[in-house]
Amino acid sequence: MAELLSTVLLTYSVFTIGSWWIDGLDRRWIVVAMGGAAIPDLVKVDLLVDARVIEQTVGLPFSYTPVASIGGVAVVAGIVAMLFGTQWRRQAYAILFAAGGFSLLIDGARVYADGYANFYLYPVWIRPPTPELFVSADPAVLGVALIVGASVFSVDRWTATG
Amino acid sequence: MTHWQRGVIVVGLVAMLFGMGVHYGAVEADRWPYPHEDTLAAEPGAHVGHEVLLFGTVTDTNPQADTATIRVESDHGAFSLTVQAFDAVVERGGVVQVLGELTAERTVDADRIVVVNHSGSAAWYKYGVSVIGAVLVLIAFFRYWQIDTDTWRFEVRRNG
Repeated sequence: MAELLSTVLLTYSVFTIGSWWIDGLDRRWIVVAMGGAAIPDLVKVDLLVDARVIEQTVGLPFSYTPVASIGGVAVVAGIVAMLFGTQWRRQAYAILFAAGGFSLLIDGARVYADGYANFYLYPVWIRPPTPELFVSADPAVLGVALIVGASVFSVDRWTATG
Repeated sequence: MTHWQRGVIVVGLVAMLFGMGVHYGAVEADRWPYPHEDTLAAEPGAHVGHEVLLFGTVTDTNPQADTATIRVESDHGAFSLTVQAFDAVVERGGVVQVLGELTAERTVDADRIVVVNHSGSAAWYKYGVSVIGAVLVLIAFFRYWQIDTDTWRFEVRRNG
């Protein structure tokens, strides 16, 4: 996947641009969106506890990959939304799910040798075609994300004060 | 909603997530359109002549011969493959995707190589920048939200 900083900056940008037209989408929800965009990155728990260790412990096949899929994002967003106060919960879920889905779309745009991304639509077993925009360790992705993020930040502050 | 109800819902969702992990782990090899690395590890000879798409760490390169050796992880342990027509510039420790035909038990004739990480340090770049991203999320979040220690819930900061 793209590194998390680029994903977070692009999510900040898209949700901030959205906030210019959508009532109620203010900064406290934009920061929730930035958190939601990090949900698929939880798949990196694999670096701390290898999936094979879990397989050996419980005696069942196991993969972390669903966390970085639309089905997994729907469930994790539910867990995180339960941590919010009752009056915020529904909106928190909607924002977390939308941002997690956006993060999957970014990730689905990276290069695969056969032109199809991974099963990020799980539980639907489809590999969507990828536009092959980047490889995951490409510093150019961060360059683009920083420029876009800084531009949106400037316009947002300028319109807020202007 | 009481603490108990909240707890039960969270435990239920965590169990559901775990169930998805088990389901995915059980079914993925059948859904993957190529012979899966677990299958190749268990039955090396069964898929000669088939097309494969594999992710591996480069352990050796031979630019004169256009070949490289990659190590592929699987549930049945790691195995090494020789990749022919390896036209990418990658250091040892780099990660590549290889699409090509399995011409022998442990040899792939590559149609396309995609470099994921040029070197082992490219992976560290990715992790380092990701950690900065995670810190940015936490700082941004707690600027507008706080933990109410009476109810253990996120609430909007009064000054946020």
